[in-house]
Amino acid sequence: MEESVVNRGQSGLRAKVLDAGLCTGCGACIDICPYFRTYRGKTSALFPCIVEEGRCFAWCPKVEVNLDELSNRIFGGPYDGLPLGSLKSLKASKAGPEAGSISDAQAGGTVSALVTFALKQGYIKGAVLTDREGLLPLPRYVDSVDDILRCASSKYTAAPTLSAVNRAVAEGRRDIGLVGTPCQVLASALMRSNQLQRDDFVDPFGLVVGLFCTWAVDYRLFEPFIAARISPERVKKIDIPPPPAEIMEIFGEDGTRMECSLEEIRPLVPEGCAYCIDMTSEFSDISVGVMEGRPEMNTLIVRTDRGERIVDEAVSAGFLEISDMPPDNLEHLTWAAGNKKKRALLRARERGIINSGGGKEPSYLLMNAEVLTRLTEEERGR
Amino acid sequence: MSHVTVDTSEGSTVLLMGNEAIVRGALEAGVNVASGYPGTPSSEIVETFSKVASERRLYVEWSVNEKVALEVAAAASFARLRSLCAMKQNGVNVASDFLLHLVGSGTRGGIVLVSCDDPGALSSVNEGESRYFARLMEMPLLEPGDFQEAKDMTKWAFDLSEELKQIVMLRSVTRMSHASGNVTFGALPDQPAKKAEFKFDGFILDPDEGVVISAPVEWKHQQQQEKVKKAREMFETSPFNTYSGPERPELLLITSSACNLYSREALKLLGVEDRVGLLKLGTTWPLPPKLLGKHLASTDKVLIVEEVIPFLEENVKILAAELASEIGTKTFYGKNDGLIPMTGEMNPDLVIEALKSILNLDYRAVPQEYEQTAQLSAFTGAPPRDQVFCPGCPHRASFFSIHNAIELDGRKGFVCGDIGCYSMAIRPTGFGVLKTLHAMGSGAGVASGFGQLGRFGMDQPVLAVCGDSTFYHAVIPALVNAVHNRANITLVVLDNSGTAMTGFQPHPGLDHNVLGEEVPAVDIAKVCRGIGARVEIRDPFDVEETRRTINELMDDPEGVKVLILRQACALSPQRKYVKNYSMKVDEELCLGEECGCGRFCTRIFRCPGLIWNKDKGKALIDEVICVGCGVCADICPQKAIRREEVAS
Ligand SMILES: Cc1cc2nc3c(=O)[nH]c(=O)nc-3n(C[C@H](O)[C@H](O)[C@H](O)COP(=O)(O)OP(=O)(O)OC[C@H]3O[C@@H](n4cnc5c(N)ncnc54)[C@H](O)[C@@H]3O)c2cc1C
Ligand code: SF4
Ligand code: SF4
Ligand code: SF4
Ligand code: SF4
Repeated sequence: MEESVVNRGQSGLRAKVLDAGLCTGCGACIDICPYFRTYRGKTSALFPCIVEEGRCFAWCPKVEVNLDELSNRIFGGPYDGLPLGSLKSLKASKAGPEAGSISDAQAGGTVSALVTFALKQGYIKGAVLTDREGLLPLPRYVDSVDDILRCASSKYTAAPTLSAVNRAVAEGRRDIGLVGTPCQVLASALMRSNQLQRDDFVDPFGLVVGLFCTWAVDYRLFEPFIAARISPERVKKIDIPPPPAEIMEIFGEDGTRMECSLEEIRPLVPEGCAYCIDMTSEFSDISVGVMEGRPEMNTLIVRTDRGERIVDEAVSAGFLEISDMPPDNLEHLTWAAGNKKKRALLRARERGIINSGGGKEPSYLLMNAEVLTRLTEEERGR
Repeated sequence: MSHVTVDTSEGSTVLLMGNEAIVRGALEAGVNVASGYPGTPSSEIVETFSKVASERRLYVEWSVNEKVALEVAAAASFARLRSLCAMKQNGVNVASDFLLHLVGSGTRGGIVLVSCDDPGALSSVNEGESRYFARLMEMPLLEPGDFQEAKDMTKWAFDLSEELKQIVMLRSVTRMSHASGNVTFGALPDQPAKKAEFKFDGFILDPDEGVVISAPVEWKHQQQQEKVKKAREMFETSPFNTYSGPERPELLLITSSACNLYSREALKLLGVEDRVGLLKLGTTWPLPPKLLGKHLASTDKVLIVEEVIPFLEENVKILAAELASEIGTKTFYGKNDGLIPMTGEMNPDLVIEALKSILNLDYRAVPQEYEQTAQLSAFTGAPPRDQVFCPGCPHRASFFSIHNAIELDGRKGFVCGDIGCYSMAIRPTGFGVLKTLHAMGSGAGVASGFGQLGRFGMDQPVLAVCGDSTFYHAVIPALVNAVHNRANITLVVLDNSGTAMTGFQPHPGLDHNVLGEEVPAVDIAKVCRGIGARVEIRDPFDVEETRRTINELMDDPEGVKVLILRQACALSPQRKYVKNYSMKVDEELCLGEECGCGRFCTRIFRCPGLIWNKDKGKALIDEVICVGCGVCADICPQKAIRREEVAS
C-alpha cells in the first residue's frame, strides 16, 4: 500500500528495500530500536513503527543514498565515479612480523594487522568484526588482540555486522574500528554524516577498514548447500581464489579440501548484490582485497588522511609490509571494479531506482546525471 | 458451609444464583457425587458443591474433561447413588460419545446432566445448542424457567431419572445460571451414609442387577424408547409446564428457559396479558402432545420464543402437523419466518418487536429523540476498546516471544489454538499470532495435520498453543498422534498453574484438588517426554530466552517439540496482590514517540499497566493497575522502565 506522505522510517524502508528484495542484511537498521532484528542472516521488522523519519531509513545503504553528499562529507569533493573510488595510494601489502602470527588470515592478514595496530596505538578502543558460528556470521565488538585474530578470515555470507556497531554505540562506546564489506562501509558513511541532523550526533568510528567484494551469499541458502557436503562445524576456511579460477574452496578442520564451481554458488547470492556499484569499499579509510595471482598478499587502498597516517605508522612499526602494485594487477582491478559499477547501474536504471521519483518517492541512488551517463555508456575493454 | 446450606430449614427464602439453585435442588434430592469440567457459565455448580462436600458427605471432582466427568457420575449411578454432572454447552459434545452408550445401557441411581448453554457466546467461541442432544440421544430434557424452578426441577430430575432408569438432562443458559433470584428452600434430607454397591451378577437384561451395557442393541434401544414414551406421559401433568392468559387468546406465546422471563416482561410492558396467552414449558423433550394440543386448539396464531436454533419451534410444528385434524391449521411466528433472530441472546425488546408486528401495536420503550442521542453519544463518546490480557498476564509475554520468533524466522509460521484466555491471541493483545481457533485441544490436533503437509510443499513452520488444563483435557491424544505420525510441530504449553479462564479450578497438574486435599500431580513435561516429544521448559517472563528457544525449536526439522512456558496467571491465588517489582519510567531516558522507540510499550506491548502521557510525550506506569511482573523493563529499548525489588 503506497502512503500519501513518503515515509522515511520503517514503512519506507520496508517498501523500498526489504519488500523490493534489495536488502543485503548489513545490520545498519538493527538493534537501534525494538523493530528491526536479524535472525539467521535475514533482516525483519517485528512490528509496525509510527516514526516518520528514522535512522533505519537514513542509514540503509540501499535507499536514498546521495553519493555526492556522502563524497563531500568524507572526501571533500563530489562523487566522480572513478572505478576504485577516491584514493591516496594503492599498494600490495601483507602483515608484518610485529603483527604476530595471523595464521587464519584470509590472504596477507593486512586487515587483522591494521586493526591490531590501531588498537595498540589507541586510534581505536575496540573494533566491530565478524566472527562465525558454524557458517553463521557473528558480528562482535572486540577489544583484544586475541579476539581480533579469532575474527580473521572471510565469511562469504552477507553479515549484519553493523548491528554490533549499534549495540556498541548504545553501550556508550566511541572510537570504534570497523571492518566491513562495501555495503556495510557505505552504511557506516551514512551513519557518520549525521543524516538526520541530530544535535547529539557523534561520529563513533575511529577507523573504517573496507573489504573488496563482488558478491556475498545468503546464509539461509548457503548453509544447507554446504551442510549437504560437509558439516558446517567442521569448516575451517572458505576461499574464493581470484579469477580466472571460478571456484569456491572449502577447507575442513581435518585438512580436507573441496571445491565447487561458482556457477553453483551464484544462485545463492542475494538479489541486492546485483545492484551494488561498489567493489572496493569506496567510503572507507583503508580498503583491502586479495591480490590477484598472489594469494598470500593483499591489495591495499589508502583513501583518507587518517588511513594514511595509520598505514604509514603500521609500516614503520613493522605491523605491515608494503610494496608496489604490479601495473597489470592495477589495470585488471580497475577494469573489474568499473565493470561491476556499470552492470549494477544499468540494472538499477532499468528498474527505475536511480534519481527517480523527483525527490518524492525515495530512490536507491542519487547521483550526478552526467556521471551516471558516463558510467553507463563508456565502453570498457580489457 | 455455603449460603446454599446455611439455612437448611424448609420454607426459608434465600437469594440464589441460578447455578446455586441447581446445587440446592440436588442437595435436597440427596445427591452423593458431583463432577464436571470448568466452563462458563457452568463452573459455579461444581465449586458450590465442593464447599458443602464435607458437611453433605459428597464426593466432588473436577474431572479431566467432560466425557470423563460423565463417566465418573455414571459410575455412581450404576452403584445406585445419586449423581450430577455439570458442563457448558460444548462440553456435551465432548461427553456425547459416552452419552450415546449410556442412554443405551440405562442408569440406576438418579443421574442428572446439567448443561449450561451460552446463547450470544458471552463467554464462548461458539453458540452451541445442547438441547438437540436430548432428541438425538432420546433422553428427557428439562429447562427451568426461573430460579425457583432451577432448584425444584433439579430435585425432581433425580426422581424422574430413577423412575425411568435413564439419565435426565437439565439445560440452563447464562442468564439463568448467572443471574440471581429468590428461592424458597425445601428440606435437606438427613444423609445416612448410603452404601454404594454395583450389582452385576443378576440376569443379563435386568436393569438393576445385570451388566450395564447397550447391547443387545435393538432390544435396548426399544427399552430406551419406551422410557421416552413414559416421560411424555409424565410430562402431560408436569407442574413445570404452566399457562397464563385468557382461555381463547388472540396469540399463543410458547416459550421456555430464560425466554420465559423476557416474554413475561414484554407482555407486561405492552399490556397485552389479556390478549396473549403464555405457555411456559419446562419439559421440552419429549413434548407432551395432549397439553400442547389443548393450547394450540385455543388459538390460530402461535409465536415461539426461544434462543438460537428453533428447537422448540420445530418440535411444536411437528406436533401441530400430527394434530392438525383435531386442532386445525395455525399460523406460526418465530425464527423460521425471521421475526425472531436465530443467533444471539433474546431480550424483552426483541420479544416486544415480535409482538408489535404480529398484533399491530405501536409502542416505544424510550422516546425516539432520546434513543438517537444515546446512540450518537455512545458512538462518538466511548473510546474503542479491545479485549486485552490482564496486566502482568504471562500470555502477553509468551505471545510476544512467539510472535517475534515467527517474524524472525520469516517463513510465515503460524499458531493453531484452542479455547482459553489465550484464544485472545487472535487479537492485537496476543499480537495476532493465532490463525486457527477451534475446540479444546484442537490446536495440537490441527497442527498435527499441518505438520504432515511438508510433503505437499508447505514450508511454513507449524506451532500450536494450549493451556495447562486443556493439555490434560484433549491435547494428549493429539500429541500422541503427532509423535507417532512424525508430524513436525512445536507445541507451546502455556502453563499458568490452573484453569485460569474459568476461575482457577485445580487440574491434574496441581497437587491439590477441588476439596483442598493433597493429590498426586501429573507432570506435563514427563507426560510429553513419555510420549516421545522433545521438551523444553522456560519462564515466559524471560522474553529473550523464550524467543531464542522457540526459534531453535522451529529450526529443528524433525518431530514434535514441546515448550512449556511456566508462569502463574496474574490473577492466580499465588500471584494476586503480590507485587514482585515496583516499576517506574525514567522520563529522562524515555524516548516516547521518537526514532528508537515509537511508543513501543503502550502501542505494541500494550500492558494495561502502561499508560501514555500525551502532554509529556512519555510513558508512565499506572501503579494501581501494574502488578509488578517486570516484563516491560525488558522490552523497553531504552531501559527506561526500571524495576525495583519490593521488599517482601
Ligand atoms: C563477502 C566477501 C566477499 C569478498 N569478495 C572479494 C573479492 O571479490 N575480491 C577481493 O579481492 N577480496 C574480496 N574479499 C576480501 C577478502 O576475502 C579478504 O577479506 C581481504 O582480502 C582481507 O584479507 P586479510 O587477509 O587482510 O583478512 P583477515 O586478516 O583475515 O581479516 C578478515 C576480516 O574480514 C572481516 N570479515 C569477514 N567476513 C566478513 C563479512 N562477511 N562481513 C564483514 N566483515 C567480514 C573479519 O572481521 C576480519 O576482520 C571479500 C570478503 C568478503 C567478506
Ligand atoms: S524507531 Fe526509528 S529506526 Fe526503528 S523502525 Fe522506527 S524509524 Fe526505524
Ligand atoms: S540493507 Fe542493511 S540497513 Fe538496509 S534494510 Fe537491509 S539490513 Fe537494514
Ligand atoms: S556485493 Fe555489494 S551488496 Fe553484495 S555483499 Fe558485497 S558489498 Fe554488499
Ligand atoms: S518507556 Fe521505553 S518503551 Fe515506553 S515509550 Fe519510553 S522508551 Fe519507549
